Amino acid sequence: MEIRLSSVLLAAVLLSGCGWFHRGEKAPAQVVAEEPQAEPSIIEPQVNRREVKTPKIKAKDFELGGYFGALSIQDFGTNPIYGVRAAYHVSEDIFLEGYLARSKAGTTSLEDVFPEITVVSDSGRRFTYYDLDLGYNVLPGEIFLGRGRAFNSALYVTVGLGDVKFADKDQFALNFGMGERLLITDWLAMHLDVRDHVFETDLTGRTKNVHNLEATLGLTVFY
Amino acid sequence: MRPLFTLLLLLQAFSVSAVQAKEQLLEVVVAEPYLEMHSGPGRGFPVVYVVGRDEVVTVLYSRTDWFKVRAPHGQEGWARRSELALTKLASGEPAPIPPYPDFATHRWEIGAGYGVFNHQNLVTGWGDFGLTDSLDIEFVVQQALGNIDNRYIASLGMRHTFIPEWRWFSPTAGIGTGYQYIDDKVPPKPLQTHNQLAYVSVGARGFITRRFMWRADWRKYLIFTNQNQNEDPEEWKFGLAVFF
Repeated sequence: MEIRLSSVLLAAVLLSGCGWFHRGEKAPAQVVAEEPQAEPSIIEPQVNRREVKTPKIKAKDFELGGYFGALSIQDFGTNPIYGVRAAYHVSEDIFLEGYLARSKAGTTSLEDVFPEITVVSDSGRRFTYYDLDLGYNVLPGEIFLGRGRAFNSALYVTVGLGDVKFADKDQFALNFGMGERLLITDWLAMHLDVRDHVFETDLTGRTKNVHNLEATLGLTVFY
Repeated sequence: MRPLFTLLLLLQAFSVSAVQAKEQLLEVVVAEPYLEMHSGPGRGFPVVYVVGRDEVVTVLYSRTDWFKVRAPHGQEGWARRSELALTKLASGEPAPIPPYPDFATHRWEIGAGYGVFNHQNLVTGWGDFGLTDSLDIEFVVQQALGNIDNRYIASLGMRHTFIPEWRWFSPTAGIGTGYQYIDDKVPPKPLQTHNQLAYVSVGARGFITRRFMWRADWRKYLIFTNQNQNEDPEEWKFGLAVFF
């Protein structure tokens, strides 16, 4: 009885609702005749449809971190360098990586012998670079520490291009590198890298290619 | 010392978020006779554990083609994508292991490369969004490094891929507009350091593997100046990109 009453009420509400939407129009000449009441269904399913959500798998292909080491600037001595790196692992072999780092050059031998001579101004001694690299994991494997511990690792080579800003000038630079990635855990990695930044400069009088080798130790996080 | 401190702080933040994230993990049932678990995410790493048929494994996360999984008794290891794709959900449906995006219909792309702009070395980076399979919006940022000046060029354009379903080689053509900034290396200073520009381009793209692709492009620019003559340099470039 109660169900019937409520369905009648619902129908009334719906009809009035329709009337509300059509309020601007001319009313139809005749109201539809009342329909015969349908038999109430015997079983009313009261079960709510359950939303099944399959959890998504998180991809941890990105690597982000920093590094610190020594950079040998040709003709300007060896100096500390620090930088940040970000990588995207495309496959188990290939990765794309970007670096951003800075260092400060020392003095040339000429400047040491003749202190009154300055080859580069003080602000020009700042050495900064960015690199975009393609990397390849050449020798993946495991490194054993004693009997009970094994760390996943990979020896990789990188090649790339970028910009070196030195002596207040931006120069196009190529870089070639080699490194070892040691995974302390599956999300934390230690890197040992050696890279050469090659660019053309005429700072010391004649135009030549200079090689700037760096050896760095880094820490990265996979996420 | 300060950068080191910042780095440590950053690492701390990462590890905290890693601990706090208690999300629901996917559980799948092994449907094949067994599922091999390797010690690392690579083809050469040895198999350290084998999960039998009808056992449940928890999928923790993925790295490239490999998935870190946990066996019922807590052993962890890496399963290959192709093998994990053969597992099922508890309901019997195939496990939702996402396939790599289809190259012909991919939407997003990000890449970098080398080029030559008006006899200057060029470093280029781009982002690309596909409106349809054959029509993209491309945003390119590049730096041309010359002996006399450095140019920074940012451009936005439309690109048409003629036959997107050709995987290995598909020609493209585009038009767009942008802005350049000239940073002079040797005097005299250029008369104008900021210019608007327009370009037309023809190029090609192709699939390499998984998410990886190449792109080559030739562009003819028209750089608008306030002198009697506009500049019209040429540029070509080649790059590698990742698509999503």
